[in-house]
Order: sequence, then structure tokens, then C-alpha cells
Amino acid sequence: MQPLLRVEKLVKCYERQNVFGSREKLLALDGVSFAVAQETTLAVVGESGSGKSTLGFCISCLEIPTSGSIWFEGRDIVVLAESERRKLRPQIQLIFQDPSNSLNPRWSVEEILLEPLNLKGKLKREETKQRAVALMTQVGLSSDMFQRSPAQLSGGQRQRLAIARALALEPRVLILDEALSALDCSVQAQIANLLIELQRTLGMTYLFITHDLAMAAHLADEIAVMNRGRVVEQGPAQNILRHPKEEITRHLLAAIPSLDNAERPPLES
Amino acid sequence: MTMRRPLAKWLVILGVLHAIVVCAGFFAPYDPIEQDRKNPYLPPMPLHLLDAQGHLHLRPFAYALKLREGTFDQYEQDTSQSVPMKFFRSGAGYRLLGFLPSRIHLFGSEDARICLLGTDAYGRDQFSRLLYGGQISLLAGLLGAGCTLSIGLCVGAAAGYFGGWRDDALMRVAELFLALPWLYLLFALRAFLPLSVSPLKAFFLIVAVIGAVGWARPARLVRGVVLSAKERDFVRAARGFGATDSYLLRRHILPETSSVLLTQAAILIPQYVLAEMTLSFLGLGVPEPAPSWGNLLSNLQQYSVLVSYWWMYLPALAMVPFFLGYLGLASSLQERLEPYKIERRSPGSLA
Repeated sequence: MQPLLRVEKLVKCYERQNVFGSREKLLALDGVSFAVAQETTLAVVGESGSGKSTLGFCISCLEIPTSGSIWFEGRDIVVLAESERRKLRPQIQLIFQDPSNSLNPRWSVEEILLEPLNLKGKLKREETKQRAVALMTQVGLSSDMFQRSPAQLSGGQRQRLAIARALALEPRVLILDEALSALDCSVQAQIANLLIELQRTLGMTYLFITHDLAMAAHLADEIAVMNRGRVVEQGPAQNILRHPKEEITRHLLAAIPSLDNAERPPLES
Repeated sequence: MTMRRPLAKWLVILGVLHAIVVCAGFFAPYDPIEQDRKNPYLPPMPLHLLDAQGHLHLRPFAYALKLREGTFDQYEQDTSQSVPMKFFRSGAGYRLLGFLPSRIHLFGSEDARICLLGTDAYGRDQFSRLLYGGQISLLAGLLGAGCTLSIGLCVGAAAGYFGGWRDDALMRVAELFLALPWLYLLFALRAFLPLSVSPLKAFFLIVAVIGAVGWARPARLVRGVVLSAKERDFVRAARGFGATDSYLLRRHILPETSSVLLTQAAILIPQYVLAEMTLSFLGLGVPEPAPSWGNLLSNLQQYSVLVSYWWMYLPALAMVPFFLGYLGLASSLQERLEPYKIERRSPGSLA
């Protein structure tokens, strides 16, 4: 089967000037390759600073990679002109870690939800409103919250709103950049179940970026483990979990809290 | 709701002060350029309710002034000649708000003039000149601040949003403007112009100069806000929905600058009123006989005035309530407009 999204030898290099004025190079992505089939979930797992968020920004066309290619629906989106990239962005939506930062605090829930629809245009006022109500129900929010400000919602409700807003443009791929990490455990589980349900009903493809291997195992079909800008290990979720090959994977496994820690290898310093 | 009250208080105070200046024609008893050469440098005339014999009058009155025996510029109150204050009296014609012709003044008198703040060298009523002068000075402050903030907003937003070489270039120019010795450049500029300039031309020259000088500071502030705003996730998210640069600037980034702009306006307006006063004091402002707060004070350049006629300083006090009003407004705006509120705690409450 043809993968929906294929990343080949992706490199992203940031340059910064140090105190002495000489340029330092920082390799955020160092030759990353993987493929995601339609209606599946790939979890990208890594420690902070391993380049996973940069990966998300590159794939959602918010950053331009230094080299490599990203194939989406048979096109390399890296080489597209800015106007083409702008048209493509709605297809690949990114959900951010902290919904209190990804929703404009000055806007009402309704304005936030309608923003993507208004940007797309074409819809009449009445249709837009109907669509907004439908989206709210889809993510389990009630439409009488429309006049509230995001500060008046709970963390879980805010992340649901962010998901609803991303779904408004009917994207093919949803990139979840640590989207559950800022939420507490029970809310994490609720949102995870919502994501699974949406995948079933809408046929969504997820790129699930996280540091939490347990949640990745719960949601993903495949797992790619990243370390220092490289994918060090990749395979079906259960394989990675049962037979971790790399040191870093074992570290991440050991970090999963458990009531019975004796089963897990102790964390080496 | 407690946050809203101080803001409303300052707005009401400033509203009243500005209304008095805007309706100067009504509140001022006399024409600001009408001369009375027989009565130069009259001291302020206090209003009384009790007369010299201890009788109470319901209508406030002033005593006419007469020269003290043996002096040529010392006045004293002539208790035999009281001048009752008449309210809503018809007097010199003026146009209210610039277009409504009227002759009604809040107060006036029948024979001698009541000069609450005294008179200047030409016997012109200082109180009337103060109110009319406020129109010119405050308008210069408002227009100057408007100019500065619009330039600052455009430059700061362009530098912060587009970054790269544009940012570098614009910020170097801003630094140049911060470094220039403005007062002396202004002297040079004034030297190019003919000796006498029409009041209107002079006014716009002042506004242009004041407005052009100050944009660098707000531009740097706006740039900082834009730099941090464009990195926020909701801006990235909107870009992800296919938003264009102009949409992002208009809907997400420029609204973030509103609190900085309003606070800056409240700080800049009194500063610019002061700048107008300085320029007019030096004779670079609106020419006589038109009054402005700086013109009123320029009499103080003469040593004799400086030491003999203390009431010529009074116009300098007139702007104190305006300054306090604007600064109070600035600080309560800052508190009110920040959507990400930081609660103010006294150090003791942390324990």
C-alpha cells in the first residue's frame, strides 16, 4: 500500500551566533526517514531536544527543512513555492502541546472555532454556524460554550476545542505535538479515546509526537524512537515495547511509571 | 470589576479637564488676544463672599485694583469698589467647538474686568489665555503622539514581523533617531524658514517635528511585542489554517500591541505637551499673539518678570492635573489591558 506521508533523509539545521559572533550549527534533524500509511498512527518518541517538534513543524509546512524531502499525496512539499505551501497547510494540521497558548486568549470559543472556516471562505454564515456546532459535538463539547473565553475552559476542554478547530478543515493528517502531555491522567485517557474514535469515523492519519512511550503504545500502530535528530529504532508498537534494541528505548521504557517496578530494568545513570 | 474602577475614574477626570479646554470660549471670560494697555501685570484678583465690612454676599465678587501710593507697578485691592461676578453673561464673540457662534460666557463683570490669574504685559487676561492656550498645546500633544505612534507601529511591526535585513536596517535607523540632538536640529530647521511664520504653519511644523522625533522608542517596544507574538502557537496555528501574512498581522499580532500603544499614548501625550511648551518657550512655537502654554511662560525669559510677577508662573501649574491624569490613565490601562493578568500581591501575603 502506498503510504500517505513519506519522509526521506530530512535535515533541519538551525544557525545561531554565539557570544563571539561566530556561527554555530545546530542539527535538529539529521537524516530522518519514515513512512505513514493512511488511517494508521505513527508515534515519534524521544526525549526533549531530540528534534521531534522540529519534525512536526517541517511536516506541517511551518518550517522549511534544510534538505531532504517530504512526500505527501505524491508531491514533495519541501520544494513547493510559498503560495502552494499555504494552500497545502490545511491538509496537515498540527495540535500543540499547550492549548492555552494555541488558542488566542482575546477571542471567544466561537471566534476560535470559526477561524479556519472563515479563512477558507466559501461557506455562508448559517452553514458555518452549523458546522461549528457539529464540530463541537464531535469532540464532546456543548455549543453553549460559544461565548466563553478560552481561559474559562478547563485544560481538557481547551484541547478538545483545539482538536475541533483542526478538524474544521477536514485535514488528511493530524500531527499531535505532545498534545496530551499538559493534561492530567484521566483527561489524557479521555482525549486519547476521542482520538481513536475520530480515527475510526473520519479515517484520520496521526503522527503522534510524545515522550510518553506508554501512551504511544496505546495509540500507535508503529513507533519511531528519536535521539539527537535521528530515528534510532522503528517498528510495530508491540515489537518496540517487548524487544527494545537501543539504549535510549530502554531508558524511555524504564521511565514509564508502574506500581510494580520490579519487572522493569532499573534506570542506569 | 475592581480593575475597571480606577480606569473609569481617570477617564472621567481627563474628560472633564479636556472639556473645559475644548470649550475655552465659554469658560474664559474674555477674548485671549484683547489688550488692556492701561492694566499691565495686574496680580490675580481673588474672589470674595465676605466684604470688608463683614457682610456676606451670595454673589461672589472681586475688588477692583488700584496702584499703591508712590509706586508704578504695585497694586492693591480697592475695597470701596467691588466688582460682582455675573454668570452666563454676554461678552466677546467666539465659536464653540470651532463652529457654533456664541457670545455667552460662564462669568463676566459689568465695569472693571475680573482677572482671576492676573494679566500679562499687554493687559491680556491670563486665565482666558490659559484656557485658549490649552487648546493649542493639548492638540499638539495629541496629534504629535498620534504621529509618533503610527510611525512607531508601522516600523516596529514591519521590523519585528519580517525580521532579517529589514529588521536590522529599520532598527539602525531607529537608533540613529534616538542619538540625534533634536533641539539643535530644530534650531537649524527653524533657521531655514522665514522669520515670521503663520500660526497654523508653525503649529503643524511643531506637530511634525515632535511626531517625527519620538517614533524610535515606541517602534522598539512594538517590535518586541511583535517578535514574541509571532512565535505564539495561536499564530502558528492560524498560519496552519492557510492564513496570509496580512491576516496574521491584522487579526493576531497587531491586537497584541494595543496595550503597549495605549499605554505609550498616555505617557507620550503629556511629554509632547511639555515639548510644545519648551519649543514655544524658546520662541520656536506658535507665534504671538496666539496663546499656547509655552507662549504664556515665555514671558519668564525676562528677568524683571521672573522676579517681580510671581503669577506669571501659574500657567506652568495648569498642566499638573493633566499630567497626573494621563499618568494615572497609563498605569491603570497597563493593568486593565493585559489579558494574561498577574495578580498583584503585597510581599506579606506570600507567607
